Amino acid sequence: MNNYAIQVEQLHKTFDAVVAVDHLSFQVNAGEIFGLLGPNGAGKTTTIRILMDIIKPDAGSARVLGKSPGEARARVGYLPEERGLYRGLRVSETLTYLGQLKGMSASAARQRADELLERVELSEWGKRKVQELSRGMQQKVQIIASIIHDPDLVVLDEPFQGLDPVNVGVVKDIIRDLRARGKTIVLSAHEMSQVEALCERIALIDHGRAVLYGALDEIKQQFAPNAMEITPPLDLAGWEQVARVEARDHRQMVYLKPGVAPHDFLKSILERGWRIEQFEVASVSLEQIFVTVVKGENRGHA
Amino acid sequence: MRKIAIIAWHEYTTNVRRIGFIFVTLLFPALGLLGIVVAGFFSGEATSFLKSQFVPPARQTGIVDHARLFTPIAPQFAKSFVAYPDEEAAKRALLADQIAAYVVISADYIATGKVTSYTKSFFGSSSSSDSGDLRAFLVTGLLAGKVDQGVLTRVAAPAKLDLVTLDAKGKSQAGGGLAIVAGFVAPYIFSILLFVSVFASAGYLLRSVSEEKETRVIEIVLSSVAPTELMAGKVIGLGALGLTQVGVWLLSSFALSGGLGALFAGAVMILNPGSFVLAALYFLLGYLLFGAIMATAGSLGTNVRESQQLAGVFSFTASIPWFFAGVLFANPNATIARVLSFFPLTAPTMMMLRLPITEVPLVDIVGSIAVLVVSIPAALWAGAKIFRIGLLMYGKRPAFREIWGALRSA
Repeated sequence: MNNYAIQVEQLHKTFDAVVAVDHLSFQVNAGEIFGLLGPNGAGKTTTIRILMDIIKPDAGSARVLGKSPGEARARVGYLPEERGLYRGLRVSETLTYLGQLKGMSASAARQRADELLERVELSEWGKRKVQELSRGMQQKVQIIASIIHDPDLVVLDEPFQGLDPVNVGVVKDIIRDLRARGKTIVLSAHEMSQVEALCERIALIDHGRAVLYGALDEIKQQFAPNAMEITPPLDLAGWEQVARVEARDHRQMVYLKPGVAPHDFLKSILERGWRIEQFEVASVSLEQIFVTVVKGENRGHA
Repeated sequence: MRKIAIIAWHEYTTNVRRIGFIFVTLLFPALGLLGIVVAGFFSGEATSFLKSQFVPPARQTGIVDHARLFTPIAPQFAKSFVAYPDEEAAKRALLADQIAAYVVISADYIATGKVTSYTKSFFGSSSSSDSGDLRAFLVTGLLAGKVDQGVLTRVAAPAKLDLVTLDAKGKSQAGGGLAIVAGFVAPYIFSILLFVSVFASAGYLLRSVSEEKETRVIEIVLSSVAPTELMAGKVIGLGALGLTQVGVWLLSSFALSGGLGALFAGAVMILNPGSFVLAALYFLLGYLLFGAIMATAGSLGTNVRESQQLAGVFSFTASIPWFFAGVLFANPNATIARVLSFFPLTAPTMMMLRLPITEVPLVDIVGSIAVLVVSIPAALWAGAKIFRIGLLMYGKRPAFREIWGALRSA
């Protein structure tokens, strides 16, 4: 058996004439936090629904925890983007029922619900009806519902949506804790900063295809310009290693020619005895990469 | 199986607590109880009031006896009949509302039997001139003193009729009113109740699916169970809920009617077990068919109201046999009744209506059951397909093309 929590091969799904997922392939390693990203309508939710066995693909295959999606249900937790709870039911009753549907006994589900409610500071709300809870509280209950049965794989679609910064922190702690206990997490979110902070690998999907896929560090390196920011500005006119220079207040952005490594450039400066206060290799945010790639994709599809 | 049981139990326990369910379930017994209380409380006055409204006072009938055979009036008829010397006197009494009618017995009565009755209006003649009383009066007048009293009484009332029905083996069944109640009225009420239960349960099913879709809880549920398991659990749980409702109605009606209802229901099962089994079978088949249809409708609408509108088309079709109730009573095996027995949406209703009234041809029973047995898997299959796409479309209803696409997909 391989060590993949999810294996998607050539997955294809169309709705009417619209291609939602276009021969998509990717893998999620067991025990990692994986980001499934993409603009609205990119095919993320369709892909997730296929993995959850809610809809069937037209072609291709999907394996979840080494099994077919339907067989793996009991070991998978899912927080859908379109989510809600039984409004008229009490919080603990709702969680117990959803836990039972995942194969737990009623008493075990009740006990675990109490523990998790305490963890998200909602223990005194267990006996209240769902409709009495605020939206943020309901969202925390929904997250509990997705992990109540201690699944090996958790798929969280937009878990931070509508949460205040304090609760974002609570949810991030839950995700990190799951990861520490060897669980696999697939995270789909629009808040790129959260994805960047949590995910080890990502797949960026657009028009149903993976346009970026791999380790987040490598992708960022791939997209980072061969440049650095130095303070104070230096006179670099005529330098062979330098392609161009941009002045930024008291600093300077130096773009190197292809093939020149930043540490070689730094060495040359030091050899000249020039004094510099700050030297930082330029990086690029996931959000910038996302925008660049998606815009480029859209131009390609226009 | 375990998940189906969990869903069924969840559906049953959450819905049985709903205010709406409790209200409707208790409404019928409450109305019955109210009726009894009101009747008991005002029994004397209410009876006389109703009587004064609906039953005209029974007044005497005048007799003008030209044949001189019936006067003076025999003492046992003095309460009902009063003699007048001539027609003028009788007419004055009638116009003065002293009598309800007067009867003129012609002089040649023995030869011709001619008797003329005069009343003020056609409908107002609830009086002793009603044929039974008048007949007894005339017979007694003719034979008094000529035959002995026993024969005279028998001639005046020659038969006290008892009805006995024989079954196929020549065994006599319960007599009189009970036979009619056991053989017709009770099964008829029973079939109506069962059908109310079918639609009540199917209605709960529609609302349950529709609410899970509207509150967006459905996707969480569908990540834990297969759509067929969800549908099966709901069908079982809410079917039990519908039966609970009918059970409460039946039990309360037994209790309120002092056990008479229980006797009737017992009689239905003992005297006509075949009919009972068939009614139960049509109930089950009808519920499965309409359950599948209602669950599908619930998944299609964007909210409960929209789903109910969609389902209304099917409920209306199922109720068509009731429109032909008049025809059915006259001829339960009329062509229209037989045709509607073979159409899946009307078959359960039609057969439940026909079974208590008549001996339905075997071909109709077998045919309608066959039609339903084939239709139910088809409805469940189509329902599960549409269920998947309908449930996940929020804010808009799937177009016919999308539904067709879902049905065609593997």
